[in-house]
Amino acid sequence: MALLETKHLSVNFGGIAAVADVALAVAAGEIHGVIGPNGAGKTTLINAITGVVAAQSGRISFDGADISGLAPDVIAAHGVGRTFQHCELFGDCTVIENVLTGFYCRQPYGAAAAALGIGKARRVEKEARQEAHQMLAGFGLADFAGVRAQDLPFDLQKRIDMARSLASNPRLLLLDEPVSGMSEAEANDAVATIRQIARDRGLTVLIVEHNMRVLMSLATRVTVLNQGRVLATGSPDEVRSNHAVIEAYLGEDA
Amino acid sequence: MRATIPILAFAAVCSVPLFATSYYLYLTELAMINIIIAAGLNLLSGNCGLISLCNASFMAAGAYGTVLLVNQGGISWFAAMPAAAFLTFLLGAVVGFPARRLSGLYLALVTLGFLELVQIAIEESPDFTGGIRGLKVARPELFGIPFHSETALYLLVVALAAVAVFAAWNIQNSRFGRAFDAVRQSPFAAQAVGIPVARVKLLAFAINAAFAGCAGGIFAIVAGFIDPTEFGVLESLKHITFIVVGGLGSVVGSIIGAVLLTALPEALRGTQEYSELIYGLILLGSLMFMPRGLVGLLNKLPAWKLSERTRKEPAHGAP
Amino acid sequence: MILPLPPPWKDLKRVELSRSGLSCRNRLGRYPASSRHCGKIPDKRRLVFRDDNGSAQTPPAVAKMSWQVASQLALSGLSIGSIYALVGLALVLPYKASGVVNFAQGEIVTLGAYAGLILANFGLPYLALVPITLLLAAAAGALIERVVIRRMMGGPEFTLVIGTFAIGIVIKALIRLHWQDNTFTLDAPFIGAPFRLGPLRLNPAYLVFVASMAVIAGALSAFFFYTKFGKAMRATALDAVAARLMGIETGSVFASAWALAAMLGALVGLLLAPVIGINPDMGQLILKGLVAAVIGGFSSLGGAVAGGILLGLLETYAGAFWGATFKNLVPFAVLILILMARPEGLAGTSSARRV
Repeated sequence: MALLETKHLSVNFGGIAAVADVALAVAAGEIHGVIGPNGAGKTTLINAITGVVAAQSGRISFDGADISGLAPDVIAAHGVGRTFQHCELFGDCTVIENVLTGFYCRQPYGAAAAALGIGKARRVEKEARQEAHQMLAGFGLADFAGVRAQDLPFDLQKRIDMARSLASNPRLLLLDEPVSGMSEAEANDAVATIRQIARDRGLTVLIVEHNMRVLMSLATRVTVLNQGRVLATGSPDEVRSNHAVIEAYLGEDA
Repeated sequence: MRATIPILAFAAVCSVPLFATSYYLYLTELAMINIIIAAGLNLLSGNCGLISLCNASFMAAGAYGTVLLVNQGGISWFAAMPAAAFLTFLLGAVVGFPARRLSGLYLALVTLGFLELVQIAIEESPDFTGGIRGLKVARPELFGIPFHSETALYLLVVALAAVAVFAAWNIQNSRFGRAFDAVRQSPFAAQAVGIPVARVKLLAFAINAAFAGCAGGIFAIVAGFIDPTEFGVLESLKHITFIVVGGLGSVVGSIIGAVLLTALPEALRGTQEYSELIYGLILLGSLMFMPRGLVGLLNKLPAWKLSERTRKEPAHGAP
Repeated sequence: MILPLPPPWKDLKRVELSRSGLSCRNRLGRYPASSRHCGKIPDKRRLVFRDDNGSAQTPPAVAKMSWQVASQLALSGLSIGSIYALVGLALVLPYKASGVVNFAQGEIVTLGAYAGLILANFGLPYLALVPITLLLAAAAGALIERVVIRRMMGGPEFTLVIGTFAIGIVIKALIRLHWQDNTFTLDAPFIGAPFRLGPLRLNPAYLVFVASMAVIAGALSAFFFYTKFGKAMRATALDAVAARLMGIETGSVFASAWALAAMLGALVGLLLAPVIGINPDMGQLILKGLVAAVIGGFSSLGGAVAGGILLGLLETYAGAFWGATFKNLVPFAVLILILMARPEGLAGTSSARRV
């Protein structure tokens, strides 16, 4: 059974169908790519899955449970993490604080316990900090732990975003254009990192990207979107040689 | 190492009764009360970024609540104060409820409306609250020890302020403090890591109200007299001035702002009109030229900046 | 507020309204109608009227809410609502143009009144000092925008909201420093005895309020829809960046919006001064203006006008039915209700809601 599944998912914005009748199935442990030209509805798809925008029709289910219509934070608490195309970091906070914020759902102490600074809260905090530092080290950010996030360059910010999304220990990770704005070398690094993380943590990953090369090298299955509709689904090779896909990307003469 | 400064400061403050006159004792007590208020408001407005113009109403709820619980409910002072603070906590949640979905301007308006409603409620219930005339407050007794002793009351106030600062610091460095900051800066990203934005805003209001309610309760005892004119819009703006001048988002900033702005009008010893003009100018000046507050200015000094980078567990600084 | 209301109408036993209309009596004694004894007794028994000699009278025709009383109240409500509408307009204008709500608008009203006072003390008659005050106000408004607001505009909303409050504090403190809390008067040609028009008593001041509001609403509409600068302001309100790209000088637009709002505020101050006197607390009016603007959704000028009139009517009727306390509660209850239920106001679009 698929970990993430959408059936007949449609999202309209004022009469324009950003996503139309999309069926998606992501199996556990898979790295699933969603590709399509700009305006194909990729980010809207992620926003719909994470509950940020409301779908007009269709169902989204995660691990068998229907998550359509749930609030974004509830969906996240179910085990769905995401990154953002423009990072959406907490700019004023330091790097370590950004990552620590991701631990929110895993720290079961109340405000009163926090205020008094008593045992359980302190212990949980300490453990979280240790784990956060380890994560930073894994991403090469250990030297920047105390630096304000908005003071750092874009590629480091992308890493912070990724670390933060992993802090909540998700089972499904949605990556929104993870290599946009990166040079080829940086993109290759990112690809390697993503692959390693997925393997080490047993994560299921859904990547939205419009960079064909990166996506094809990373994904085990690919869905192609065009103008909100699914053009093709299959392995990277199948999709690459699909006529409709070639037409959409390269025009009719190709 | 970093714990010595607060300990020294606390010891210094505790020793004030040894050499200060009654007037300066009172002034320091006011400063301590303002520290409690600022610490709470800082969590709401500095960390969580929510505008609240009704902080004075929460203070009023704590003050009148404590007095009423004692006078009409027959409870002892030392049960009444926490009880009033808890009731104010609930009141804060009530106000925080519409806050969930409202942006800055509309939130300011709702809190303003709430403040005016509370004012009217106080003025129109003279049987309970003394109405416009105000209410006299007797000095409490603790287990038979009358707090007529100035020093005893003073130490109580200082202890409360210390607890408040301790609590505010802890909350700020806990998952709730981080959630507040997250909600302020990027609600989308906050939700993406599972932070329930609406509930967090509610919590911020409730916690802030609890702090203000505590401050109100002890203020009633210290001042000996409360009336509705002390809990109007101007008061709320004064509270905001504490944290703006000190530095939004910084606990140390709230302490500095509260102490400075309690001392300054007294130091200038002018009439009330001058005091308000000064507050207004300081607030305006800070907003225009020093938006990060005094702590923000201090952070620009090289020594401070260095320590911020090399700290392993960086404390939350000014935004 | 400033208008004498008829006594509260209630069916009461043991409380009597005498023919002179201004007192009520129960077995404890006679009380003025404004006291809580007249307003708070909840019983629904028959009203007993006694004339000043003590003999019972049949209830006069106005024992129930007759059309005459209703229309009289409507007129009061309309005229005070016009003032609220003007204040609301002055709040919505700079908000639409520059995205900033001027919480110091109340103090601008006060400032206008005091400016009129100064000019009157120089010997200028009312009709002469009005245009001069308006010009001064326009200059002040533009100055505030340029010097203070422009600086704070890039920053967080917190800074702007609190900043305008701070401006208000400073203005009010300066006024109180110079004039203390004394109340001054200002002579105006529309102050005179009420005259009768059919069954209604009309206070000439009311008429001036309503007329001013109508004229200004009309003038603003014409300005925004038919003049080039007005269209520029509308464009800037919709999208400042796009407006700039079109060649509109948004700086002038901002300054003009604030100048215009300041003029409106000063006008309100000059209209109110002869009626209620000049004192530093006139600025409290801004709360009513805010409610008016919120009813209109803070996004439309027409909405602010409608909101102001609606608020004036609500207040007046509430005061007549339920007494002064409820009258004071009405604006804030309305404010909170609308903000909770429908923050975009009764007319606006839902951009007020966020995550």
